[in-house]
Amino acid sequence: MKKIKWIMIASLLVCFAFIMTACGSNSASSSEEPLKIWAMGAEGQKLKEFAKNFEEEHGIKTDVLAVPWGDAHDKILTAVAAGEGPDVLQIGNTWVAEFGEAGTFLDLTEYVESEEYPNLNQDNFFPSSTQTTVYNDKVLAVPYIIDTRVLFYRTDLLEQAGYPDGPATWDETLDAARTLAARGPDKNGFEIDQGSHHIPMMFAWEHGWDYDISKGAENFADPKFKQAMELYHQLFDEDLAQLEAGKETVQAFADGTNPMFISGPYMVNTIKEQAPEIEGKWNVKVMPKAETSNSIAGGSHFSVFHSSERVEDALTFINYMADPETQVEWYKEAFTLPTVKAAWEDPALKNDPMIKVFGEQIEMTKAFPVMAEYEFMAKELLKTLEQINRGGKSVDEALAEYQKEVEKILSE
Amino acid sequence: MSRLIFKISPFIFIGPAILLLFIFSIIPIVMSLIISFTDMDLVGLANWSKVSFIGFDNFGRLFNDPIFLKSIVNTLMYVGIGVPIVICLSLGIALLLNYSTSALFSGFRAIYYMPSITNIVAVAIIWGFLYNQEYGLFNYLLSLIDIEKVPWLEDPFVAKLSLILLAVWKGIGVDMIIFLAALQSIPKMYYEAADIDGANRWQKFKYVTLPSLSFAIFFVVVTKLIGWLQFFEEPFVMTGGGPLDGTVSMALFIYQEGFEYSRFGYASAASFVLFAVIIGITLVQFTLRKSDK
Repeated sequence: MKKIKWIMIASLLVCFAFIMTACGSNSASSSEEPLKIWAMGAEGQKLKEFAKNFEEEHGIKTDVLAVPWGDAHDKILTAVAAGEGPDVLQIGNTWVAEFGEAGTFLDLTEYVESEEYPNLNQDNFFPSSTQTTVYNDKVLAVPYIIDTRVLFYRTDLLEQAGYPDGPATWDETLDAARTLAARGPDKNGFEIDQGSHHIPMMFAWEHGWDYDISKGAENFADPKFKQAMELYHQLFDEDLAQLEAGKETVQAFADGTNPMFISGPYMVNTIKEQAPEIEGKWNVKVMPKAETSNSIAGGSHFSVFHSSERVEDALTFINYMADPETQVEWYKEAFTLPTVKAAWEDPALKNDPMIKVFGEQIEMTKAFPVMAEYEFMAKELLKTLEQINRGGKSVDEALAEYQKEVEKILSE
Repeated sequence: MSRLIFKISPFIFIGPAILLLFIFSIIPIVMSLIISFTDMDLVGLANWSKVSFIGFDNFGRLFNDPIFLKSIVNTLMYVGIGVPIVICLSLGIALLLNYSTSALFSGFRAIYYMPSITNIVAVAIIWGFLYNQEYGLFNYLLSLIDIEKVPWLEDPFVAKLSLILLAVWKGIGVDMIIFLAALQSIPKMYYEAADIDGANRWQKFKYVTLPSLSFAIFFVVVTKLIGWLQFFEEPFVMTGGGPLDGTVSMALFIYQEGFEYSRFGYASAASFVLFAVIIGITLVQFTLRKSDK
């Protein structure tokens, strides 16, 4: 009897010891292990299939994890805390500074200049894309997808309002929106995604404003910035755009509730798929002009996690994805716009009239300076606009408070 | 030898539980207490040498942060309105369902339990449609009886009530099951004795049912209060804390500060305030129950 007890206790202890060691030993890395890649968004899911070509060409196995954009930030945060992440990861171009400051990404400066990875050369890309890959004089990422915003409009409805080719300036846009909003009580002239901080920023750039790092919070005292926010407010104040949650974007566009809105390249395909009935009745146009027609230079980059043990394989993969040919293939597959200039020479992009508009818009883009505080400032700006549009604060008062808030953020 | 085994065997039995408790509860709590006195952010997370202790600064800032103060008020509203409603409704439904064990009644039991096991994201999408101010079902139904559009999720105050309604709908099931189980374990002879004494229905409820349920009620009140103080999912998926921070709860505030703004020290301080509130309220309940007896 005693013996059995001892055996049981001993085996229990052994079991525990096994569990403990099993938890601990996780760092073995052989060449057989696939290259870990985190790809974000809807196109991330397509990358899994797409990466097969790469596997065949280079004999490197890949393991693509598709992460929805909504979870991406948290997921990278966890990887930073753990000190262990994937080999290659896709990041939003406004995250470079925030995570770069925490040392999340490997410094790629020497690699982008090396002969070994010719496709990574920064001259291959649009300057507005490479601009957001550099932080503290280090190249931390390689442009992967370019994303910009243009005006989507219903040609038939805008024709009724007197602008068959879409409005070219903000004055024309407001005029058209007023005519179209007057169609009925449940019709609007414009739709604004109030969760997007790109839109107010674009408004500001279009009014000739620009963020100057040396001026800090003072930037937001610029009358041009105020003008832009007044325009944003005007759209809601005159009931041209709906403040409350309404119909889903594509649905409202298809049934004419919202004849104009601002969105990115992925929306072209979404409309084609979800609303085939309005084929030929809509088009895209570069952003309406105030002083300029500037849109946002958005998009995402590839970077290498700082603790990756397979830097060469990771760079081979990024180099492959940055190849002009791959970029065109990837455009056909996932409808994401290439960051490589040479890829735009391909007839698949060159001959598509809608893509041409995006190409035009890319020449007129701006990006916010690469700074770790941007995300906070942007979120705070959206709250400020909510105070103006819903809370009834005056633009002056709200912007003064915003300036104070930014001062606080920058001093932290 | 056998004395030694006799002495250590209880420790071996509770050992695993204690170990898990330490790894997943005690250590994280102590860690977050320590972090709440630091300025830990994303940079500090990657490199611990850049974290510095800043004393009670985080707590001082918290109580000057209008959004945190708002989140406290919101949370108290959620708890103050939501908990009594959930308890009364789930008790009421349990009493009604206890009348019979026929198929119809067990069918309804399943129906009332269904929301509790439905995925919150699916719930959020459906309720988002229902609450839509322009095109939602609720406002359409109200328009049939000439009631003006209700800004379900568009007004800071109404949005709080809308979220409470959603949470009540989702939360009733679990408590109903607990009450139902407690009701079914009340011995029949109590009611027989009451019948012999000539008690009417209300008297039976007041003097037999309620006292017999007192432990179940205590349990539900404690767990509900703790659960509702951590009100998170509903505002997280439905409103993101808006409009105008009208639906931010303390738990959502902690999440936003910690995971959206990466201010881990600040968020830890806020979570410690929430922790203290929960412990405080729970202790009060336990002492009240003791003094009851």
